Amino acid sequence: MADAEGLTHEPHPVTPTTSAASQARRWCSFLLGDECFAVDSGLVVEVLRSRRLTRVPLAARGILGLIHLRGRIVPVIDPAEPLAVSRRPGTTPRPHLVIAPGEDWYGLLVDEMLDVIEIDPVRIEGPTGGTELLQGTFAAADRLVHLLDPERMIQSLARPRLAAGSRTGGV
Amino acid sequence: MGDNSEFIGEFLVESTENLDQLDKDLLALEAEPGDPQRLASIFRTVHTIKGNSGFFGFSKLGALAHSGEHLLGRLRDGKLSLDDRITGTLYSMVDAVRAILRAIEATGTEGEQDFRELSRQLAAVATEESTPGLEGQAAGEPDDVEQEPPAAEPADRAAAPVVADAETAAAVVVAPVVAGPVRPASPPAVVPPTVPSPAAAPSAAAATIPTAESTVRVDVDLLASILDLVGELVLARNELKSIETEDPAVLAAAQRINSVTNALQETAVKTRMQPIDHVFSRFPRTVRDLAKACGKEVAFTIDGADTELDRTLIESIRDPLTHLIRNAIDHGIETPAARLAVGKPRAGKVLLRAFNESGRVTIELADDGGGIDVERVREKAVARGLVSTAAAAALADDEVLQFIFEPGFSTAREVTSVSGRGVGMDVVRTNIEAIGGTVEIHSDRGLGTTVRVHVPLTLAIMPALVVHVAGERFAIPQAAVSELVPVRRTGGGSRIEGLAVAPVMRIRGRLVPLVFLDTFLGLRAETACRDAGTVVLVRVDDREYGLVVDGSTGSAQAGRGCRDLLESASLSTIVVKPIGGVLAALGMYAGATVLGDGGVVLILDLRGVARGAELPPLERAAEADGETAVAAARERYLVCHTRVGRRIAVPLADVVRLEQYRARDVQAAGPRQVVRRGDGFTPLADADGLLAAGRSLANGPAEPDAGLSVVVVRVSGAEVGITVERIIDVIAAESSFQDTLTAAGVAGTVALGGQATEVLDLAAAVSNG
Repeated sequence: MADAEGLTHEPHPVTPTTSAASQARRWCSFLLGDECFAVDSGLVVEVLRSRRLTRVPLAARGILGLIHLRGRIVPVIDPAEPLAVSRRPGTTPRPHLVIAPGEDWYGLLVDEMLDVIEIDPVRIEGPTGGTELLQGTFAAADRLVHLLDPERMIQSLARPRLAAGSRTGGV
Repeated sequence: MGDNSEFIGEFLVESTENLDQLDKDLLALEAEPGDPQRLASIFRTVHTIKGNSGFFGFSKLGALAHSGEHLLGRLRDGKLSLDDRITGTLYSMVDAVRAILRAIEATGTEGEQDFRELSRQLAAVATEESTPGLEGQAAGEPDDVEQEPPAAEPADRAAAPVVADAETAAAVVVAPVVAGPVRPASPPAVVPPTVPSPAAAPSAAAATIPTAESTVRVDVDLLASILDLVGELVLARNELKSIETEDPAVLAAAQRINSVTNALQETAVKTRMQPIDHVFSRFPRTVRDLAKACGKEVAFTIDGADTELDRTLIESIRDPLTHLIRNAIDHGIETPAARLAVGKPRAGKVLLRAFNESGRVTIELADDGGGIDVERVREKAVARGLVSTAAAAALADDEVLQFIFEPGFSTAREVTSVSGRGVGMDVVRTNIEAIGGTVEIHSDRGLGTTVRVHVPLTLAIMPALVVHVAGERFAIPQAAVSELVPVRRTGGGSRIEGLAVAPVMRIRGRLVPLVFLDTFLGLRAETACRDAGTVVLVRVDDREYGLVVDGSTGSAQAGRGCRDLLESASLSTIVVKPIGGVLAALGMYAGATVLGDGGVVLILDLRGVARGAELPPLERAAEADGETAVAAARERYLVCHTRVGRRIAVPLADVVRLEQYRARDVQAAGPRQVVRRGDGFTPLADADGLLAAGRSLANGPAEPDAGLSVVVVRVSGAEVGITVERIIDVIAAESSFQDTLTAAGVAGTVALGGQATEVLDLAAAVSNG
């Protein structure tokens, strides 16, 4: 199982430099399809291997199910849904990146975990993708890293799928 | 203030408790003015607050307490005697101190309010009837008395006060298991707020040393995390149990872990419990103030204040109960003059009691006031369009009283400052139901009103039924489940009778709407439960409905019984966990839980499901008047075949129940046919007979054993059973009701299932049936 720790990706061009080291924040980066995203590492609770999910009927499409972690019920979210990126094909187990943007915890189903990178805030640019779910974008040496705003992303899933009677909707 | 914050927190908790005690003491003092023990106790409390506020530099609070202490000192020394004015001023002081404490809690400062006027008032009251010139002394005097209270109380009084204080103190203690009153087996559990602090009440502390020493204050969050960890342990234990092994050593260890875990879970749950007194203790003061404000006299009694309830629930019942008390005093209890006029004692009685009843806590508020005018409620319900005149007339008094819980419903003739704006009872019900409770009301005109609130002991842990649907599992709170009924394809009373529009099941004569959980939740496109499911009958908000879940598949029709039911649903005790804002917003799930096998299971929100399924309002459907054609368009009808094969419809709202008789059960009573039901008779009217205007077409001799389908309807308060050949379906009207095409026995027509269907004229059925 290609789990979270077994990083196959080439090491990241480690971070901006020196001066603003105190200002720099650490971001936990991961892949969704071919695109690289990151969340503030301060929000990260744990990275889990794939777990069995309990489906939540009638929930928004991006909500894949529930898992149990340390006494809490954690909804697992497919970030590819709200971000509209295409997933890597295949059915290999995917790691859950569990984050705590607020009181509640949420699991993000990602394709592959990458490094924790340090980013100087001054090097963050406005979001390029034109989506409100991003806080900005950081140009690393070899790729763009999209910095997620997890709270907004989760809020975007609060809309229920059709109410009762959506008899055809399948997850 | 810097690092004092922790101490300030303690100071706040302690002072708040002291104020509760103060309220009690003041009330007792009012009943028995001049009681030296009470006075001493009050004095000490105020003195403590003064001392603490000086320590933390809260000057406003200090000044206020100082003035109060001065007044109390004079009272204690017998230089003043208690009168209404002094009591009122002392109450104002208590309120002011509360306000300051709240401000400190919220902002860390004493707030903007100015209490100097109150201080002056306290000083003014204190100097009344006393020798002039004392004013100058005022500042100095408290210093004199400061040494007195603990030490210098006359020795002969000392024995009595200790006992008195110990009693009152014990009543305020909120400890769940202080000094192990219930089970010696449980360790004296940690205790959230309110052990009377030694500093606050020296003599009380002295008398209750065991309490003080066996309890500690513990952060509520810490208790919550202990409970979470215990939950985890329970899961681990379950995993352990599922491991198959023959090793006796492992088995023995597993067995011990099992029993310890059970005991631990039970104990941990107890830490969440608090005596309901935590809420009740404030009410005597509330009652007193309200009675004064309304010019009424009230004898208020509290019973069962030691009944325990989950801490989180205790807070949520405070507001609803306060509202009920307000209602009882403002609207329930009459003025002394009015009471004397009808031969009641001057003072009204209000009894608040709590007790355990079948796994729930019941809180009852009874008054012996004027009661609720049921007829006024009836009128008002009709005026507000909640029910038609005819339907209202048919309702029993207790049913009519339920309208009081409708939003904006008030029978108060005038708005008073206390209550009567018509907001309230609906909020009471909403709040109580939000914590899984129910409210019922009973009233006798002239004799009083009783409101009963039933709440669960705890929300955190509850028994639940786990059902299977399309490979998923869901938990249903057991408190709401009344019955499990297997679905049969043929035969007896548990067949599903509706079609897709509005499936119903007939259960002991009642028509119960059904929700197919598989299609409702979108798990299957077409339900698989119609012929082989299990119906879980649930009741929520006075409405009963059936959730159809998967039965055990493939078993023979004859073999279906208890065992199969157990296969499709199992009972377990679950720990309720929140599912987070995003999913809670769906309104379909009340939370989730983790089962013994580690699987996560959603808990169904039965109220949400009922809303989502748009169940027909069986109970209070308006009668289809000609004018309300729009409403009628959505109305549901029971469609039947008469014995000569005519297709007719009866408004579902008028159907009371469906019954099956045999032809030989029918008796003649004069020109009518009747059938015995309980100790009364239900008159029968044959549908064909009604349609043929009295000509008995199909009343030919039936086999004595032939089945008779009877639709019992209630119109204008009278019940009549209409005999039909077969009940086909409950169908929602596709057009508005047309009363133009009337023929004999026909009230009009409506489109049902694509056909214009004649609606039986029930009024005629009642009059000439």
